[in-house]
Amino acid sequence: MERITLNVNGQSHQLNIKVNETLLDVLREQLGLFGTKKGCDSGACGACTVIIDGEPALSCMILAVRCQGREILTIEGLAPEGELHPLQESAIEHGAVQCGFCTPGWLMSAKALLDENPAPSRREVQAAIAGNLCRCTGYKQIEDAILAVAKK
Amino acid sequence: MNSNQSFITVGKSPLRADARDKVRGKGIYIDDMRLPGMLYGKVLRSQYAHARILMIDTSEAERLPGIIGIVTGEELPFIHGESFPDEPLLARGKVRYMGEGVAAVAAVDEETAEKALGLIKVEYEELPALFDPVAAAAPGAVRIHEEMESYKGKPLVRPVKGTNILNHVQFERGDVNQGFAQADHIFEDTFTTPAQQHCSIEPHGSICLIDKDDNISLWTNNDSPYRCRIEIADALHIPMTKVRIISAPYTGGNFGGKGGLKAEACAIALAWKIRNVPIKVLYTREEEFCSSIIRHPSVIKIKTGVKNGGTILAREVTTYWATGAYAEKGPTVSRFGGISSAGPYNIPNVKINGYLVYTNTPVAGAMRGYSGPQTSWAYESQMDIIAAKLGLDPLELRLRHVYQDGDIHTATGQIIHAEGLKKCLEEVAVRMEWQGKTLGPNQGRGIACMERAVKTPFGSAAFVKVNEDGTVDILSSTTEVGQGSETILRQIVAEELGVPLNAVRKATPDTAYTPYDASTTSSRSTFHMGNAVKIAAADARQQILQLAGKLLSTDPVNLTLADGKVLDKENPVKVMPIAAVLGQSYGSSGTVLGRGYYFPEMPEGQETYFSSQVVFWLLGAHGIEVEVNRRTGEVKILKVYAAHDAGKAIHPDNVKGQILGGISMGLGYAAYENYEFKEGNVLNPSFLSYKLPTAVDMPGVVPVIVEQEHQDGPYGAKGVGETTNVPLPPALANAIYNAVGIRIKSLPITPDKVLAAMQERGEGESQ
Repeated sequence: MERITLNVNGQSHQLNIKVNETLLDVLREQLGLFGTKKGCDSGACGACTVIIDGEPALSCMILAVRCQGREILTIEGLAPEGELHPLQESAIEHGAVQCGFCTPGWLMSAKALLDENPAPSRREVQAAIAGNLCRCTGYKQIEDAILAVAKK
Repeated sequence: MNSNQSFITVGKSPLRADARDKVRGKGIYIDDMRLPGMLYGKVLRSQYAHARILMIDTSEAERLPGIIGIVTGEELPFIHGESFPDEPLLARGKVRYMGEGVAAVAAVDEETAEKALGLIKVEYEELPALFDPVAAAAPGAVRIHEEMESYKGKPLVRPVKGTNILNHVQFERGDVNQGFAQADHIFEDTFTTPAQQHCSIEPHGSICLIDKDDNISLWTNNDSPYRCRIEIADALHIPMTKVRIISAPYTGGNFGGKGGLKAEACAIALAWKIRNVPIKVLYTREEEFCSSIIRHPSVIKIKTGVKNGGTILAREVTTYWATGAYAEKGPTVSRFGGISSAGPYNIPNVKINGYLVYTNTPVAGAMRGYSGPQTSWAYESQMDIIAAKLGLDPLELRLRHVYQDGDIHTATGQIIHAEGLKKCLEEVAVRMEWQGKTLGPNQGRGIACMERAVKTPFGSAAFVKVNEDGTVDILSSTTEVGQGSETILRQIVAEELGVPLNAVRKATPDTAYTPYDASTTSSRSTFHMGNAVKIAAADARQQILQLAGKLLSTDPVNLTLADGKVLDKENPVKVMPIAAVLGQSYGSSGTVLGRGYYFPEMPEGQETYFSSQVVFWLLGAHGIEVEVNRRTGEVKILKVYAAHDAGKAIHPDNVKGQILGGISMGLGYAAYENYEFKEGNVLNPSFLSYKLPTAVDMPGVVPVIVEQEHQDGPYGAKGVGETTNVPLPPALANAIYNAVGIRIKSLPITPDKVLAAMQERGEGESQ
C-alpha cells in the first residue's frame, strides 16, 4: 500500500492505494467517480479519458501513484454541480449521445482540444477524438456538437 | 401532406432525457452498481477448440486467501438456449470452442479471482476440430454435439440427424429448374462473409444473488428481461417467477450482442453454488471478442436465371451459416436469412436452402441486421454482376424487380404492404444524381438495397401510470440500450395524454414490476411497444376523463386533454389540471393505471414461433461513390447516401442517428473489421488489432428518411435502426466494380484484396 494525495476536480484526497492500481480503478473504486468508464482496460477505446494537467489521458494506462501532485479533471468536474458545460449542452442538443458509454471520454478529449485550440477545423476535431471509439453514432453528431461550441 | 402539424411531439425531435445523465457521467451502467458484500467472479476459459475435459483440479486455487468458492461445469447439470437449448453454463465433459468457460471463481476482489484462475489445473484430450461450415456440414464429419438428437428445440428448428447441421431452412416457390431452363443466362457465384463483433463500448456484465430457496435476482445489461427470465428458469428447472431480472438503468450499446446468457451464465453458475451473496461478473474486452457472441460467418452460393432483356426467372440460394459451438440465436438468424435469401425482388421461381452448422468457433448469434448483412452481400453483389453482363443499369434492374405494395413475397407467400423500398432506391438515386453526374478517373458509384423481416409474432405489454401530481410513468420492459426507445415511448404517451413530454418518465425494466415484453430486438420496439404504450395511454386517458366527468358533473364525451389539463370542449371555462383530477393528496379522487397490449394479428393456422408471416419489413438502400487507388488497392469512400423506410419517423433526429451509426458499423464490416482466426483461436481480440472505424475514417453521409406509413404502426411507424448497416458492403463492392472493373466476393474489402484482384488483371504495383 502507498499513501498518496490525488487532486481530482479541484479537491484533494488522501488515499491508500496499491502501487499497481490504475488511475481509472482508483477514480471509480475509491472515489466513486463512476462517470469515467472502463471499456477495454487496455488504452484502446478512450472511454476512460480524463484530463491530467491540461492534457487528455487514458486513465486505464496510468498508475495512480504517478498522479501524485497533478491536477486531474474527470467528467464530474467538467461543470459545477447542477450546471452543464457548453460541450455537455451541445452534446444533448446535437443528438451526440446514444448509449452514452463513450460520452464522458470524448467530452474530456473535446474539452482538452478546445482549451488548446478554441477554433478547430472539423479535421482537427476528428483527430482529437480519433482515440474515442463510438459504436452508436457514426461520430458526425459528436463532431457537430464540438464544432458548435468552438464557434461560440 | 405534412402530417406533423396535427401532432404535438410525434414527428418532432425533442431532446433525449437520458442524454442529460449521460453527459454528466451520471448514467448508471451495470459496472457502476455495487451491492453490499458483493463478490467478483472470473472465468477460466478453454485453450482448445475441441477437447475432452479429463480432469479439473481446483484445490490449489481454493487455498488462495480471498477465494470464496470455485464452480465447474460438472456441478451444473443445466443447458440453456432460446430456441434450441444446447449450451451448459460452464463446459461439461468437453469444450467446443477456444474461450469457452470451464470453471468460475468468486473472490473478494477481481485481482484475487484472476490470480486463482492461474492455479486451476485442467487436463484435456484434444479432439479434431471443425472451423469451416461447409466442411462441418459434410456427412461423416466429427460430431460437435453427439447428443444433438436429444435436444428439445422449438418446432421450427429442424436439425439433420447424425450431422452438425442443427437447422435446415427451406423455402420453395415455383419451379427453379423450369425457370433455369427458360433462362437465357445463368449466373452462379459464391460469396463469403466473416465474423464481426458488436464491440459495444460497454462489455457484458451481471450481478447475481440466489437465496437458499432458489430465488434469483439478476441485475444485468441483458437487452430483454423477460426472454432472459424464461431462459434461466427453463435451464435451472425452476418456476419462472423465482427469477427476477432487473435491468441496469442504462446499457452501453447492444446491437444484438446482449441478448443471450453471457456474463449472466457465469454469474448464475457461481451464485447457484455460493448462496445469499451477490456475485458480479464483468467481461473483459478479450472475453467480448473470444467468449461472448459474433456475427455468423457464412458461405453463400447463389444461382440466378435471367432472360435476355433482364427479367429474372429463377433463383436458388444455398447458405452455410457457421453458428459456432452453440445454437444461441442461430436457428432464427438462419430462418430470417432463408426468408430473404433471394432478395426483395419479384422472382417467380425460388428455392432456398440454409444450413446452420456447428463449428468449433466462438458462438454466433444476433447482431445488427440478423442475417441481412450476409444475404444482401450475396444477392446485391450478384444483381450488379447480372446488370454488367447484360449491359443493364443496376438501378433499373432493381427497380424493375423490387417488391411493391400488393406483390406476393416469394419465400413467405405473404401479400406485401407498406413497402417503401422502391422509394428508398429512388431517393438514393436522386441524391447521388445517378443519371447524369460524371465521376472522375478511378471513381465509381454503386447502389444496393435490402429487406429483412421483423421478428413475428411476438407481444409487448405496457402500463401507463398517472400520478397524483399529473406526471406519468411508463412501465414497460423495453430496455434503453442507446437506441432512444425511452424518448420515443415518452413521446407517444405525451401525445396521447396531452401532457408535456417532461411530465412523462420511463421506468427501468424489472420483471417484478414492469409487464411482459418479448424482447428489445429486431427493431420491434417502436412498432410493438409503441402500440402497447399507445393503447395503455388511451386507456389511461379514458380513466382520467371518467374521473373528471364526475368532478365537473359533465359527460366525459364532452371532455378532452391538452397541456396537462382536462378541457370541456363546449364550455371553455371548465378547466381542470390532470393533477387536480387525480387528487393532489392521497389520490383522493381516484387512481389511473392504463393497460396496453399488442400482438400482431396472424392468419389462421400460422406457426407461432418465428412464423413466415411478417408484420413489417425493414427496408433500405445505400448508394456509394468511391475512388480506387490502382497502385495501392486503397479505396476512398467519397460519399454515402442512405435511405431507410421508417414508416413514420416519430423522432426524425433519432432515425438519422440510427442511419449514421449503422453506416459506421456497415463500413466496419465492409472494409475494416478483420476478425482473424487460426484454428479457432482469435488472433486479434483487442481494439488495437481489430480495427473499428474512428472519426477520421468516416465518410460524408447523406441520411434520408422515407416514410411509407404502416397501417398497424403507431402513427404509421415501423422499426428502422437494426438494418441501417446492411446494404453498405454490397454498395461498396458495386462501386469498386464500377470504378475499376474488379469484383470482390469476400468481406472485408481490404486494400490487399483489391490490389490482388488488380494484379490478376496485370495492374497494380507488384509486391
